[in-house]
Amino acid sequence: MPRIRPTRSVVACTLATAMASAFAQAPTPTEAELARKLDQLAAELAAVKAQLAALQQQRAAQAQAPAASAPAATAAVPAATEPETPTAPATVFSGYAELNYNRPTKQTENTQADLRRFVLGLSHRFSPTTKMVGELEVEHGVSSASDPGEVALEQAYIEHQLGRTWGVRGGLFLIPIGLLNESHEPTAYYGVERNFVETAIIPTTWREGGVQLIGQYGNGITLQTGLSTGFDLSKWDATSTEGQESPLGSIHQEMALAKAHDLSVFGALNWRGIPGLLLGGGVFAGNATQGQTPTSSRVTLWDAHARWTPGRWDLSALYTRGTISNTAALNAPLVGNPSLIPSAFDGYYVQGAYKVWMQQDYALAPFVRWERFNTGKSYADLGPGLTPSPLPTETVWTAGANFQVTPGVVVKADYQWFSVNKDANRFNLGLGWAF
Amino acid sequence: MPRIDSATGVVVTLTTAVALAPTAAFAVDYMSADEAAKLMFPQADRFEVRTLTLDAAQLQQLQAAGVAPRSARWQVRVAQRDGTTLGYVVVDDVIGKFELISYAVGIGSDGAIRQVEVLSYRESHGHEIRLPAWRKQFVGKDASAPLRVGDDIANISGATLSCSHVTEGVRRIVAVIDLARHLGTLT
Repeated sequence: MPRIRPTRSVVACTLATAMASAFAQAPTPTEAELARKLDQLAAELAAVKAQLAALQQQRAAQAQAPAASAPAATAAVPAATEPETPTAPATVFSGYAELNYNRPTKQTENTQADLRRFVLGLSHRFSPTTKMVGELEVEHGVSSASDPGEVALEQAYIEHQLGRTWGVRGGLFLIPIGLLNESHEPTAYYGVERNFVETAIIPTTWREGGVQLIGQYGNGITLQTGLSTGFDLSKWDATSTEGQESPLGSIHQEMALAKAHDLSVFGALNWRGIPGLLLGGGVFAGNATQGQTPTSSRVTLWDAHARWTPGRWDLSALYTRGTISNTAALNAPLVGNPSLIPSAFDGYYVQGAYKVWMQQDYALAPFVRWERFNTGKSYADLGPGLTPSPLPTETVWTAGANFQVTPGVVVKADYQWFSVNKDANRFNLGLGWAF
Repeated sequence: MPRIDSATGVVVTLTTAVALAPTAAFAVDYMSADEAAKLMFPQADRFEVRTLTLDAAQLQQLQAAGVAPRSARWQVRVAQRDGTTLGYVVVDDVIGKFELISYAVGIGSDGAIRQVEVLSYRESHGHEIRLPAWRKQFVGKDASAPLRVGDDIANISGATLSCSHVTEGVRRIVAVIDLARHLGTLT
């Protein structure tokens, strides 16, 4: 209404002026009537002016940052003003870090303190629908020719929203397999160290270069699928035990001059339709010989997972299995070395945590995890005496607690018992943060 | 049924996305503040926008109740019908992980949450906070409820920060409205 009235007041003024000049030329018997109307218009104009002044005053008051000393009162606002469009900075820094202390209680000489990783994240929004996400990681404190550290890009991709449901990513991104890979900040998991299943079998933090489509549905389903670089079996080092620690971790490429003769495909489906429940799984498959050998070998890894967080509980379970095809031909020339390429490897875990204590931002959550994994569950037949025996399945119990100092900062302590490699039993202490 | 709907949705959405790609901007905006207010109080014949200004003592009162007040000024849409107050709608923004989440909270005249709606979501992950099932957890709760993730509000795996920050925002709004109701400054 006030917006219309100024226009009316202009019309009124014009009319009034026109009428006034008309009266001067030819006064008529209706003069008194017209004069009354003129008075009416003048009164209306005054009202409009008053309203306009009130509106200006109100806007000025809004513009001034209100101090705490402002009077405790509410002001009725005559017109609905839309809330200001929210503005967030286009460029945002983020980060996370882990500092770990590991003390093997049967081999205390191997006690270590490590600035495991310090990660700087940077995201930039080019437009409401397009942004860049990047993460730069420094591992083990110092990276130089004479130090054990490593500098790596964990993520570097462009994400473009195509509509309400679909988005597309291009670049170096995390593969959506398991619970940990895409959500690997220390505040997001229990225990000082990441679980074995999702490091030895699923090579977290696992990223590939490629294109990914993400569909997010109103019924709680998230669908991710794409085409990416894959593993490189020519990197397999049979003389080292690295392949026994993590078969895929030893042949991943991380887009560092990655051999891209063979591309891989992946897909993941997660359902979060019930608050607190996540059910999902994913699969990744692709040739990994990259045109380097006459035969071709396919690496396939899949997982199924569930996480349920009713109230103070946090329960999760995961199973994952990987296979490498045609390994006999690749292994034949490697016979005699300590590590041949396995044809299958798998692992699973069950974990339970309960938030026993919360006060303001503090929260204490003890947890227990039971996991079993085998990085060399089976080997392709090379004939009697030549075929490696399957590795023993390791069982690890981890019990400890995460203590949240404030959201984003966590102190962790736990103890781990190994059933096969008993000498590895250890006490762990960690400090982590993420923002 | 949901799967069939989803499959149809894929085709329709993809077709629409391709057809409308150059013009489809702000794809993450789901509804306006006014639309949310009308959705929450369909029987209202009027929404009066009022500015609530809290003084230092009131801010401290909120702080003491465990709510970080953040702002001294709050814009409240008072839903009315025939001059009777039906409830209040407050629109707010919180940071999810990196980006702003715009949401609206509808509170009945009794102080209980009537509805929570997400107006805009810009993060890459965690859009599941828009799911009705997650937002329904707030309905009926008032200032006496803990309103905390991992307590009376279930978390969404992979969207912890978005869940926590929206829950924190809702708790703040409920506390502010509760304070205003008791002071009688919104009537």
